[in-house]
Amino acid sequence: MPEIFSLGQTPVTCHSFNADRTQLAVSLNNNEALIMNKQGNEWVPSITLSEHDKLITSIDWAPNSNRIVTCSQDRNAYVWQEQTDPETGGLVWKPTLVLLRINRAATHVRWSPKEDKFAVASGARAIAVCSFDAENNWWVSKLLKKPIRSTVLAVDWHPNNVLLAAGSADMKARVFSAYIKEVDERPSPTVWGSKLPFNTICGEYTTPAGGWVHAVGFSPSGDVLAFAGHDSSISIVYPGGPVLHTIRMQTLPLITLTWTAEDSIVAAGHDCRPLVFAGSEAGWREAGTLDDPSAAKSPDSRFGGGSPTVGRLKTGAFATFRDADTRGQSSASPVTDTKLTTIHQNTITSVRPYAYGGAGVSQVSTSGVDGTLVVWDVNAVVALTSRLGGSHLR
Amino acid sequence: MEVNFRKINVDQYDEDVIQESELYEADPREPAEVLEEAKQRQVAVRGLLSKNDIAGALTTILDNAPYGPNVESAKEITLQTLLTILNSTKSTEISVIIKSLSMDTQDTLMKYIYKGMGMPGWGDVSGSVLLGWHEKLTEVAGVGCIVRTMTDRRIV
Repeated sequence: MPEIFSLGQTPVTCHSFNADRTQLAVSLNNNEALIMNKQGNEWVPSITLSEHDKLITSIDWAPNSNRIVTCSQDRNAYVWQEQTDPETGGLVWKPTLVLLRINRAATHVRWSPKEDKFAVASGARAIAVCSFDAENNWWVSKLLKKPIRSTVLAVDWHPNNVLLAAGSADMKARVFSAYIKEVDERPSPTVWGSKLPFNTICGEYTTPAGGWVHAVGFSPSGDVLAFAGHDSSISIVYPGGPVLHTIRMQTLPLITLTWTAEDSIVAAGHDCRPLVFAGSEAGWREAGTLDDPSAAKSPDSRFGGGSPTVGRLKTGAFATFRDADTRGQSSASPVTDTKLTTIHQNTITSVRPYAYGGAGVSQVSTSGVDGTLVVWDVNAVVALTSRLGGSHLR
Repeated sequence: MEVNFRKINVDQYDEDVIQESELYEADPREPAEVLEEAKQRQVAVRGLLSKNDIAGALTTILDNAPYGPNVESAKEITLQTLLTILNSTKSTEISVIIKSLSMDTQDTLMKYIYKGMGMPGWGDVSGSVLLGWHEKLTEVAGVGCIVRTMTDRRIV
């Protein structure tokens, strides 16, 4: 059963757990990051990190070094480190400003696997790759610029700490080398290439019908890349061939994804529920969803008709107008409840690995515009057949 | 308060501004070539329609359909031919025909349905026929198909 937590009445912009999942960093659609502690079955805010002037767009919590990086529309990023306050003796989170050198909003941030670098995507058609300069005691950035033509919406690190995938509003997903001489050892060759100076382009792939690339992700081995576009498609790239598998979906676009194993991806977006994709180099398919539409949820989340249909074509305003048209009913009938049959009641904006077990990720967490955080078991996949029958217009 | 600065197109001061031509790959064919092809397809479709092969006719006209600038007349011929097909199909057969089309063809069909709906009164455009096809196509290809029509810069 998925664990459901309500964090607030406002959208959750982004979320990130600490290493042992006892604390959670979120931003509730404003310029502050909140650190929450779990008390019973609830997440309760304990510390507020306020340094940004504008909306925080992304947060990442490094599991080993226990540092938090936040980035914002104010074009800044801060690295937060827990330190002992010399006066009170208590632990406080100390911010360090990062010199990003970008002139547009920062959109997405991720620590590298070794946690000695992080990448900040931005609207300045650039990705700032930041590393720590011990001499001056600050974080410096180096910009990946070419050949990005528009806002970068998502980044993801390759396990070798050097390669970086980026999805951009110029309809391209790219793989760059983010090799920093002062930090990185010479990387061993991968399927993406062997000579990798900074800003080498190791791959460039386009969405099938011109959609912005909202999400990118390397597989656990780093040998495969997945990206999801605003044209309701998800593509999986095997660079050797290169082999490109594209799935065009019937539903609304995905905006976030994470690999759970070498042959499995969990992705979510405007359709309000996490979908599971499974496959190999031979081919990929939509395997189902983690949101079981027939499972009993809290009683009030089931809408009046009780039919196991998912999707908004039959509910809400559409049904109101249809009833008015076909039956001459002007008042809202019991069927026209605005509750969705999915657990998330609005777009899911972030899906991240939560727990590891066996061959890969065993649980994922999602957060979205409905202010809800949900932890899902990735093996509880439900086929989509009931939905397909239900998405008809009448 | 002076607010006119909000109306300045800041992109004009950017030397590296993104151009329309960079948003999608241009059609490799010459405009004249595209026009010639559209005319040939129109003839082929007439033949297929006389044999009542609607799915074949749709595939013929929608496969590799003209897109981008400078091919307006080819686009018009394609739209006119497509409308002939749509108007001459029995409404009971539509679902079966749509299911037999490839996903590419379904996406292109949706683009033309929207193009037709955007030109009321043009040629043989009939709102009720287009809406009927739109409903059936959405049942088969889902709202994802509509999303692709909206995002795709390769406008037909």
